Amino acid sequence: MNAATHPVAPEEVMAFLDGELTSAEAQAVSSHLDQCAECAGLAAQLRSTSQSLSGWTVPAVPASLEETVLAEAAEAADKLKQEKPGRTTQLSLWNWRLWAVAGGGALTVVLIGVALVASIIYPGNLAKSRPMEMAVQKPAAPDYFYTPARAQNQQTAVMKGNFSAAGAGVAQLGSLATPPPPPPVAGKTAGGLMYGYSAQPGAVTAPMIARTVSLTIAVKDFAAVRASLDSILVRHRGYAAQLSAATAENAPRTLQASLRIPAPELAAALAELKGLGRVESETQAGDEVTQQHTDLAARIQNSRETEERMRAILEQRTGKIEDVLQVEEEIARVRGEIESMEADQQALEHRVDFASVDLQIAEEYKAALNPPSASVSNRIHNAFVGGLRSAAEMLLGCVLFVEESGPVLLIWLAILGMPIFLLWRRYRSVMARF
Amino acid sequence: MEDAFPAFVLHSEAIRPPMNEAPRYPEADGSQTAESDEELMAAFSRGAADAFTVLFLRYKQPLFGFFRRRVADPAQAEELTQETFVAVLRASSRYQQTALFRTWLYAIGFKILRAHRRKAAFRATFLGEKPLGSEPAVDEAIEAQTMMRQAVGRLDSLDREVLLLREFEQLSYAEIAELLGLPLNTVRSRLFRARLALHDLLSAPASHSSAHQFAQSKERV
Repeated sequence: MNAATHPVAPEEVMAFLDGELTSAEAQAVSSHLDQCAECAGLAAQLRSTSQSLSGWTVPAVPASLEETVLAEAAEAADKLKQEKPGRTTQLSLWNWRLWAVAGGGALTVVLIGVALVASIIYPGNLAKSRPMEMAVQKPAAPDYFYTPARAQNQQTAVMKGNFSAAGAGVAQLGSLATPPPPPPVAGKTAGGLMYGYSAQPGAVTAPMIARTVSLTIAVKDFAAVRASLDSILVRHRGYAAQLSAATAENAPRTLQASLRIPAPELAAALAELKGLGRVESETQAGDEVTQQHTDLAARIQNSRETEERMRAILEQRTGKIEDVLQVEEEIARVRGEIESMEADQQALEHRVDFASVDLQIAEEYKAALNPPSASVSNRIHNAFVGGLRSAAEMLLGCVLFVEESGPVLLIWLAILGMPIFLLWRRYRSVMARF
Repeated sequence: MEDAFPAFVLHSEAIRPPMNEAPRYPEADGSQTAESDEELMAAFSRGAADAFTVLFLRYKQPLFGFFRRRVADPAQAEELTQETFVAVLRASSRYQQTALFRTWLYAIGFKILRAHRRKAAFRATFLGEKPLGSEPAVDEAIEAQTMMRQAVGRLDSLDREVLLLREFEQLSYAEIAELLGLPLNTVRSRLFRARLALHDLLSAPASHSSAHQFAQSKERV
């Protein structure tokens, strides 16, 4: 068999018999079959194979199948019928929902708009409370003297969270009660006597309150605020116990300070500090230390008297050298105690004299487009070098990982992979049987 | 491809006696209607249950035969037939009239058959169930039929599939190619190979191999 004797391929004979050839091709194959006994034999063989297959009959479909499928079909047809009106309902429902949502949104927008317009047209309503607030924030007169009534007022004010208002009222009360003495000289005063308390036991006339204030302010002009802060401290004879400023790049600048302000100046100083910017948070607290102070004063007094008596004993009486030494030791101990207690007393008085103000100032940051620090070519070069380095490190990391974990992974792969492989092969062989 | 000489066509009535399966557009149960499968399917997707009944009557036997020849258990064949019709019902809204209904139906049947085979293979592999294989049931078989079925069962699985689709489902080469995702030429060569191999298997085992002989001749052409 060759191309000369068989111009058609055996598969073409089959395709011809299957009716898969065009008329022209079929014509060619047909005429060849008439001439070629071999190809005619192949055709007969193919026909007989097909004919033998035709004997493979299948029994009729069970009737139960018909019932089940036709019942399903009827159900499906009903659903299909219902779907059409359903679709339109769904569509209109969807439209209704869409309109409801759109209407609600529009109403909200209109309400917000009206509110905005109203606030622009009638700004008085909103601003009415502000002048009052500003008025009460103004420092009236320095409150040098703490009276029980004023302390009570202050506590109430702390509870209300409007300390400056109370401060102003207190100052007025104080000025009515007694004329204000001259402001104290910055630094230490004579045992705090000027502020209305006495180191003498039983002489305390007013409660001693150590005040602490915490204030967070947002400002626009940070540089100006720094200068203003210094001037406020000078003006009110205060000082900064601690101050730190941070000026990070591409971030708001911040200043954190722990200020000490003379207690009588506190209200005025606070008002000025608040004027620096927008107050974000403010807390005030008053710690009453009268009892503590009185106790200390009494103990100091007692110790002094003890010291006096011992000195008198030492001067007036004679005795053994051991006794003298013992008395002197005792005097030294009492002296030490007195000094220690006096230091505590002074610290306490200082806390009362100078209110502690924890101030935090943050700049209202506006991001700025800074010019690039490095030139474009440098940045490209750096990025390229960085990329190469990262790639090299990654490759090295991969190599190291394979070296380190490769053997273990291989063992695990063998342990886990072999059963999986065997099961897969079995699955494939079963599939191939179908 | 439809304009061949009918006298030489394998499936002409002269050569092949009528089988249980109806030919290309079967009119089952004598229901004489001019409506095509595609028109009936379109009518059903509009809610006409009768249209599907006609389609079902046309294809119930061919589809049952399709599964019956490929699945060993008759009950499973029935189940898969039912499953295919139900799948057709559910997918009716997605049916595109551009595709031949017959091809679409057998494509669905084929998917269901593959899923069934996968499940059976999985159960056989992992759960130790004995697979029934693709040997058709021989309950009512005559000996000659049994031999033929066994011979078909010994063919390569893909060759067998091409042969069965051509011989019993009477799909064209193009339809088989689409269904199995094979190139048209592959379908033709596999069909040829399957037919010759089947002929050899049905002939005496000692006889010469037609497949081998024609394979050699093909190389020379």
